[in-house]
Amino acid sequence: MLTKVHHVGVVVRDIDASMRFWRDILGLPLHKLQAIEEQGVKAALLTLGDSEVELLEPVVTDNGIARYLERKGEGLHHICFQSDDVERDLTALKFKGVEMIDQQTRIGIAGRICFLHPSAMDGALIELCQPLDEYGALHPVSFGDSDRGAG
Amino acid sequence: MPALTLDHVVIAVYDLDAATEDYTNVLGRAPSWRGEHPKYGTRNTLFRIDNTYVELLALSGAQGDKRWSGELQRFLEQRGEGLYALALGTPDIRSTVNEMRENGLEVMDPADGHGIDLATGAERAWRNAMVAPKGTNGVRLFFIQHLAPPEALAVAAPVDDEACVRRMDHAVILSADMEAARRVWSDVLGVRLALDRTFPDRNTRILFYRLADITIEISGGSAQSREGIGKADRFFGLAWGVDSIEKMCARLTAAGVETSGPRPGIKPGTLVATVKGPATHGVATLLIEHTPQSFEADARQPQRGAVDNAPQQRAFTATGLDHISVTTPDLIGTVMRWASTLNLPVTQTHDLPGEGRVARIPAGNAYIALTQPAEASDIAAAMADRGQGMHAVAITVDNIDEAVRDLRVKGVEVTDPTAGRDPGTRIARVSRAATNGVPLILIQHD
Repeated sequence: MLTKVHHVGVVVRDIDASMRFWRDILGLPLHKLQAIEEQGVKAALLTLGDSEVELLEPVVTDNGIARYLERKGEGLHHICFQSDDVERDLTALKFKGVEMIDQQTRIGIAGRICFLHPSAMDGALIELCQPLDEYGALHPVSFGDSDRGAG
Repeated sequence: MPALTLDHVVIAVYDLDAATEDYTNVLGRAPSWRGEHPKYGTRNTLFRIDNTYVELLALSGAQGDKRWSGELQRFLEQRGEGLYALALGTPDIRSTVNEMRENGLEVMDPADGHGIDLATGAERAWRNAMVAPKGTNGVRLFFIQHLAPPEALAVAAPVDDEACVRRMDHAVILSADMEAARRVWSDVLGVRLALDRTFPDRNTRILFYRLADITIEISGGSAQSREGIGKADRFFGLAWGVDSIEKMCARLTAAGVETSGPRPGIKPGTLVATVKGPATHGVATLLIEHTPQSFEADARQPQRGAVDNAPQQRAFTATGLDHISVTTPDLIGTVMRWASTLNLPVTQTHDLPGEGRVARIPAGNAYIALTQPAEASDIAAAMADRGQGMHAVAITVDNIDEAVRDLRVKGVEVTDPTAGRDPGTRIARVSRAATNGVPLILIQHD
């Protein structure tokens, strides 16, 4: 079941430059900045009330984000709905014959995710996400990177 | 109210003798006290260091007050060994308990306790009061007032004076509900919040509370997830101050305790090492060596892109997502697709003169405005240019006049506020030149 709009995705050429507007002028707190190497993107999540804005910068030239940027330029890219069970929702979508970009869920910056094919939604690109277990990703800053699993 | 201190930390262990041997190695000190609590049905070993003491606590097998032994047994069965409780010291437990009750905390009446050192027969007495964990976001705390003088618990003798733990630096609690944790520590316990900092590249926010010279670090995600609200906090680990990381690591390695070896800490001017393996009995353990540089002003600045969360003076606040506009040349067809595919039905449709026909789809915290643009409208032009689908985003602001004024001061083009399509709303449109090409609407609801 979809519970809310988790974020809206915006494709940008340069995340650092785009921070000037979204973070500094609009005042949205940046709470996550991450390079997702296997997807060839750099992503930033900024808090907007109980939703978020996701900025996406391609760092390779041969993925969907890079092609979108090449074809359409910067702009609004997708809507991500939060799901209480993304695996179940993906199974239901496939059962209904909905065309999917992702046949299986995967881990993205927003948690466990999958994308519907835009043709399934008359041109709108829709992502579903289920944030990861709140403790699973947590690790105290003071203990540093190499301490995972300590104790 | 008397200022609270971190009187001691309690670590629950299965086998007290084995844990005592291990912590003698980890801390580099011989125990201060090995005793039992006849009233509780527990045994303990204490290590006093410069600024607090550590209590290893195990079941003794004797009959005792089930409120103590039963809870320890449940903890060990359900969670295994690890940090069990923090004891907050007060010089006047009665007034502390009264104050905490006024703050809404459920605290048991202060009760007398005493312990006996099995080696010397020495006794120590105290009064303590347990706190109901539901009032502390799940963290086990109790207040304690010692009736015996401090010297009744001797400082644990160093095994190697150059390679022992000197003091506790900080204790770490993990929280999935940071605002609840902040309420407990700031508003109920009244502990001083020294730092509230977010590390975006680590998806982490930390709250630093100071109990005298010891920090309670509460660590959580940088954004509050809805799922995390109401979840219990968890103890994670302890960080110990040492004089020489290098000598500590060498001694521990020689004693068969694995460490990560020295490395630079997150705070400039610090060296740290992790103690690994079973010797810490379920407590994540970090050793920290401060150099003089770590106390300089630069070292107090946010590190590695971290952001301090002190309230900033802003002219306006973007408070949330209002709606997302999605275009289609066939409103009825697209409405049916959204309903059948995502189970998101339309609740309302209406015509907007000069713009087109709009169907509203509620989605929890915002709505989707499916829009079939009128011919020759700006939206129709945008759809022809970029294709049907994603079109615009509207976000709510608390003061649209201030937002427009502030954006213009910062060089952003934005229209004058006008009446929005919904009654009681005013909107302004931000130039796409500033927004990475996103048609962005600011909206204020009266």
